[in-house]
Amino acid sequence: MKTALLPDGLIRTLTGQALAFLVALSLGAVIILLIDENPVTVFTTLMRGAFGDAEKIAGTLLQTTPILICGIAACIGLRGGMFNVGIEGQLFLGGFAAAWVGFAFALPPVLHVLVAIGCAVLAGAAWVAIPAFFRVRYGTNEVVSTILANYIATLLTSYFTIFLFKRPGGWSETPPILPTAYLPELFSFSRLNIGLLIGLFLAIATAAFFRWASTGYAVTMVGSAPKFAEYGGINVRKVGFGVLLASGAVGGLAGGIETLGVHHRFMEGFAPGFGFDGLIAALLANGSPIGTIITALFFGALRAGSLLLEVDTTASREIITVIQALIILAVSADLMMRRRGDRTGERRWKF
Amino acid sequence: MEVLSTIFNVALIVATIRTTAPILLVALGGSFTTKAGIFNIGLEGQMLIAAFFAVLGSIWTGSSLGGLVIGVAAALVFALVFAVLVISFRANEVVVGLALNILAGGMTVSLMKAIFGTRGSIVGRGIVGLPKVHIPGARDLLGPYAQLISGYTPLIYVAFIAVPLLVLIYGRTRLGLYIRVVGEKPEAAEALGISIVKVRYIAALLCGLLAGLAGAHMSLGYITMFTENMSSGRGFMAVAILIFSGGDPWRVLAGCLLFGFADSLSLRLQTFGFPSYLVLAVPYAVALTALFALSWKARPKFIRETIETMQRALSIHPAKTETPDAPSNRS
Repeated sequence: MKTALLPDGLIRTLTGQALAFLVALSLGAVIILLIDENPVTVFTTLMRGAFGDAEKIAGTLLQTTPILICGIAACIGLRGGMFNVGIEGQLFLGGFAAAWVGFAFALPPVLHVLVAIGCAVLAGAAWVAIPAFFRVRYGTNEVVSTILANYIATLLTSYFTIFLFKRPGGWSETPPILPTAYLPELFSFSRLNIGLLIGLFLAIATAAFFRWASTGYAVTMVGSAPKFAEYGGINVRKVGFGVLLASGAVGGLAGGIETLGVHHRFMEGFAPGFGFDGLIAALLANGSPIGTIITALFFGALRAGSLLLEVDTTASREIITVIQALIILAVSADLMMRRRGDRTGERRWKF
Repeated sequence: MEVLSTIFNVALIVATIRTTAPILLVALGGSFTTKAGIFNIGLEGQMLIAAFFAVLGSIWTGSSLGGLVIGVAAALVFALVFAVLVISFRANEVVVGLALNILAGGMTVSLMKAIFGTRGSIVGRGIVGLPKVHIPGARDLLGPYAQLISGYTPLIYVAFIAVPLLVLIYGRTRLGLYIRVVGEKPEAAEALGISIVKVRYIAALLCGLLAGLAGAHMSLGYITMFTENMSSGRGFMAVAILIFSGGDPWRVLAGCLLFGFADSLSLRLQTFGFPSYLVLAVPYAVALTALFALSWKARPKFIRETIETMQRALSIHPAKTETPDAPSNRS
């Protein structure tokens, strides 16, 4: 917290990040050459697909929304020393819960949205509750338990969708939600909806919470110096549990917004990889919610651009996953190469 | 009862052995890194990339051995990247591992599209699977039970032989001792003049070797094909096993047999008309339950305390009887 506010540390972090970006992009270029494509064409196509015109920019923002909200979920976890890799699963359950409220109940307009979102949040928090309990009570590694929970969540929602709530005669998807549960759209030409604003508000609120609230400070301390926090009279277990629950709740919210705002129904594989993208965005921003806005926008642009990439070139859209992974690897290596003593003292992402 | 006897029979044991092998190989690989004190969540990616390159290699070279070698080489490259970043650059293990998993997923799909022009899966196209080993005389000796020990692909034998081999390595060789020291007490290793970096590199590469074999077995063993994300969480299950087994080879074997059984049982149940999505979730649920139930630290406090007091009572008791004896003998 303290080092992040010092300009010296910030400059060093930013130059390090920029250098890592360059290394990752050049490695990505090598891989693009390997698959017989021109890196310049690929990158310009990506940019064109992301920012070509107003519609494309809206598309980018549409992709950014779930990544941003999932990124905030990851940020909350990272700050409290918890690696919530299960955001993907929470997203799926949240999405399903919102869709279920959306098509199964008839409620007045605004209330319907609120109830659906509330259920999504609850579903996300409930899904992380068991791993969270074992993490704080018995120290069971939360990375592995939440990853395994992801697989179960995906299969479970598929089961719900196909065996219990399948739309008659349709694809593997639920009936569409009632129009009363739709999230308001921002523009007429895009499905971009109020979810983006919710995400931005959430990012600022989370940042303010960690910056000014004493509970936020307690969470940061539990994450970075648990012994100090315990000595200061904080119930480390309780805070850790709360952090994971909050993280899961936001993950569920992301799913709810995706369902109510974009698809208006739940379908198998409705939001592939958004949870992981959010986690990567949060890692790249080093756990800062405001920074996550920028990194989420970047990843959203990559995703939106990859759609055009698949149309205009022979390259697969998964090439952006490769670029994302390379960036994370380059950043994790901390290429600024600080002195050894420096490193042992404060290791990057030693959450 | 009839249903039970059709589910539980020799074929189920054979299926269990088959499904156990890949997860056993990858978990034994992870045992090296676990013992050396590295938390390796990147097993999944190493397996996946090996599975892809094994298929690719077998098409290029026209032989299953060539595929195996190229697959293992790809896993070794991933293991090396993991080692360089985690050991030399001291990056966060979880971040690097997850990023490598994502990289493996993206790379296999991109390369598949670039080389074969398809998405989803590679089938046929001259993939050569691993041959089956028939032990001579097994059929004469055991009759219908011969399939329990004969007719598997070679990597299954490798997997099960590797278990006692690893026990020997950890217990009887210098390398095994070094790996354990580096993992348990790095300070002591440093004081003894053991190069922590070198030992951890060796452990990470040995892990890559076994994970590569596991991946090659997935795509060249019983099914000769590659599908998108075909490792489907096996690597993560292996990590779960490693957490509650602490990397001990026999316990790893026990854990892997449990998952192999859950896996083959779930395949079996699918044919009985249970909803496939729920049945497919069974292995993950078993892994998760086992992780929660068996995690070393997860033992309830009262059991831990009982064991501790019993140990104390047992260790103090003989000491008490010895002390009065000793002076009387001397006098």
